[in-house]
Amino acid sequence: MPAATSPRPALDWLKHLLEETVTLIRSSEQQPRVTLLRRFPVPRNFALPGNARIQHGRTWRAPPGAKRVKRFEIYRYDPDSGENPRIDTFEVDVGSCGPMVLDVLIKIKSEIDSTLTFRRSCREGICGSCAMNIDGSNWLACTRTIAGTAEPSTIYPLNHLPIIKDLVPDLTHLYAQYALIEPWLKTRGPVPERERLQSPAEADRLNGKDGKGPAACILCFCCTAGCPSHWWNGQRFLGPAALLQAWRWLADTRDEAAGERLDALEDPFRLYRCHTILNCTRTCPKGLNPGQAIGAIKQKIAQRRS
Amino acid sequence: MQNLGSAREGARQWWMQRMTAVALIPLTLWLAASLLRHVADDYATLIAWLRTPLAAVLMVLLLMALCYHMALGLKVIIEDYVHLDRLQIAALTLIDLLSVALAVVGIFASLRVALSA
Repeated sequence: MPAATSPRPALDWLKHLLEETVTLIRSSEQQPRVTLLRRFPVPRNFALPGNARIQHGRTWRAPPGAKRVKRFEIYRYDPDSGENPRIDTFEVDVGSCGPMVLDVLIKIKSEIDSTLTFRRSCREGICGSCAMNIDGSNWLACTRTIAGTAEPSTIYPLNHLPIIKDLVPDLTHLYAQYALIEPWLKTRGPVPERERLQSPAEADRLNGKDGKGPAACILCFCCTAGCPSHWWNGQRFLGPAALLQAWRWLADTRDEAAGERLDALEDPFRLYRCHTILNCTRTCPKGLNPGQAIGAIKQKIAQRRS
Repeated sequence: MQNLGSAREGARQWWMQRMTAVALIPLTLWLAASLLRHVADDYATLIAWLRTPLAAVLMVLLLMALCYHMALGLKVIIEDYVHLDRLQIAALTLIDLLSVALAVVGIFASLRVALSA
């Protein structure tokens, strides 16, 4: 809100107007003001190859005596069966379930259908295992509340990745892209006798003053899986997760390889295929801003050219 | 994954796309305003306007920025969405050639109007 005590009220007003009209997404905590369409208006199986077309699966009815029934439509795929993927509908009694979407998945696996396959580990948003597409956006199942989901709620694996089984995508390529940015400290000088010290301000460049700097990334790949540029050119574009980590090492005052890191990134596809769509920032379940980090890398390259 | 390595470029296209975009804001506004002002005038008046030094210079600048920006933008679209190698190379070549041709034709026409006796 423009403060009455501001020395430049006109400028503040203009800034406020700009933010209201052209909302620049800075964090997934920003809720969109208007959502025109729930999903892009093409048929669900549009242009999919025959073996990827999603069929209707079975429905698991709620047990009699269930208090609060909620429906979950979950993507199922079993490569051993030789069948196409399908959508199973589970009616779950959320009255006797923990509060998060991951609790629902665990309840389904232990009480309804033990073949449901998904990754999970820490159940508190720090391991990044249970990243999946919930109601059309990528998030961690353990930090998305059941109360915050649609009716019926749809649960798919992360987008545009090869599927191993059910909600488990193959992340090999994304890990290879992460390895390509060489995510380790590189130095030239002699090894010091003790730790390489940083000032609090220097550490803030990595951790963020609010704890949302590039070092807070948990590599769940919600962002890369949600990036259209990565969908179309994923073999060559590194994607927001790897580029956020590239920035994490460029921003590190202890690292002495910024030049060669920028050399490896300066490419029409690896870096510049980012068209600032900002789905990455919109979907980050940790509230980080990969879009801004990519912009910072572009600035660094512009800086060394002029 | 490593493919053919980094091209060590892309920064220039990225920068020029933004430069031409910035240049096109005033230039397009100027063209729109000028054409609106002359909307009821006859051919001779319009030609007389284009013969003024300011209009001729701005028109040439506009054509240069427009064609450059168009070529960069169209090529990005082709690279993003056309993944059949031969079709992609053909489309990229065509965009380069046509946008240069368009710029030269436009600039030549403007100069001819502006400089002919």
